Amino acid sequence: MRKADEQGFREFAAANAASLRRTAYLFCGDWHTAEDLMQSSLMKMYMAWKRIKDLDNLIAYARKVLLRTWLDEKRRPWRRAEQRDGELPDAADATSDPDTTSAKLWARELVHTALLQVPPRQRAVLVLRYFEDLSVAEVAVAMGCTEGTVKSQTARGLATLRAIVEKLDSSSGRVAS
Amino acid sequence: MSEQEIREGMLLAVWDEPPLDFDPDTLMRRVEQKKSRRRALVAVGVATAMIAVVSLALPGLLPRDRDGQLGSDGQTNSSAPPTEAYEKKLQRTGDAVAEKLALTMPNLKEVYADFRQGGFSYNMPNMSSAPPSGQPRKSNEPQFTGYLFLTDEIGPTSLRLEGAKIELSTKNFCSGAVTCREVPQKDGSVVTEAEFTDGSPDITHSEVVRSFPSGFHVRIASYSYNPASGSGLRQTVPVRVGVLTTLVTDPKVDWE
Repeated sequence: MRKADEQGFREFAAANAASLRRTAYLFCGDWHTAEDLMQSSLMKMYMAWKRIKDLDNLIAYARKVLLRTWLDEKRRPWRRAEQRDGELPDAADATSDPDTTSAKLWARELVHTALLQVPPRQRAVLVLRYFEDLSVAEVAVAMGCTEGTVKSQTARGLATLRAIVEKLDSSSGRVAS
Repeated sequence: MSEQEIREGMLLAVWDEPPLDFDPDTLMRRVEQKKSRRRALVAVGVATAMIAVVSLALPGLLPRDRDGQLGSDGQTNSSAPPTEAYEKKLQRTGDAVAEKLALTMPNLKEVYADFRQGGFSYNMPNMSSAPPSGQPRKSNEPQFTGYLFLTDEIGPTSLRLEGAKIELSTKNFCSGAVTCREVPQKDGSVVTEAEFTDGSPDITHSEVVRSFPSGFHVRIASYSYNPASGSGLRQTVPVRVGVLTTLVTDPKVDWE
């Protein structure tokens, strides 16, 4: 690869690695797996860099590769998923604001418990629509499906997520909004 | 739960993001290593496939001899193993002779032949199994021995057969015979019939030799005992020269 191309990829990877890792985290719910997914996606992009470097929206392409990589990883029968059967002890953070901390913990629970129970493709649609703020058309391109499919998957995903959150809230005593 | 809350919840969910230790150069080096490993793997795969294809295709490309064995310029084996083709021919010959004997003598039961390539470990009386003088026996010359088993009213016995390119003296062959005569055949071969009593009042040994112009002789003999086992002594031979001549001159049987 030419030096200019290498430099172009280097700049693209450095600028978007963190963002891709966050999206991957919302897909899989684990920071280590998210980092692996981000690196695998960037490796694939580097191997195809000569072909793709002139694309108009490289970050959209990167999201598509990330989503494919995650779905492929999930399909592998020998995939080793982390077993979360232990309870982490609660540790008080004296420096944090109790109200903010409560909201953050709830958000973490939203991801770890509620979002991870939504089926993978519906989860991907929700993350791309509400975290990445993509339009229906952009999500359809990233998912490789029609806009109608994106809309129906979004509706189903929201319904599933709301049902799970409601269940969580009722069990923890929090009032669902 | 509104869409806005979901959006905020997702943003809050990544608030405890661990620090990112990402170096694009390390990633690029890993990709290059992966590429070179893949190239090496493909090269090994292609080489293995080529070796497999060549090893499978080579036997088909090499010339074959008449019996289907791979030919080779350096093949000078003087004691070649029996070829399958000749063994099959012997089997067919034996079956034809047995069929002819069963048709000629309907009183016989369980008539079958057992012919094998090669010579007997001992010579027939009055006959040398040595090849014609001054001519060493070739490994690919047809030569067979065997028995034609049969069961008559007295019991089981057999006829002895031999075929080879040998030196035959009619004078020696007929020595001691009570009857001996030569019957020329239309194809140029000569049938010599002889019967022996060996001092007893009955025929104890009948024998017919068909000598082909090529020097190949087929000899079939009937004894007053079972030559296959050396036992089963009886008063006279089970089959006389007339039938033996019929067998040895049957046009359906390809002796050579």
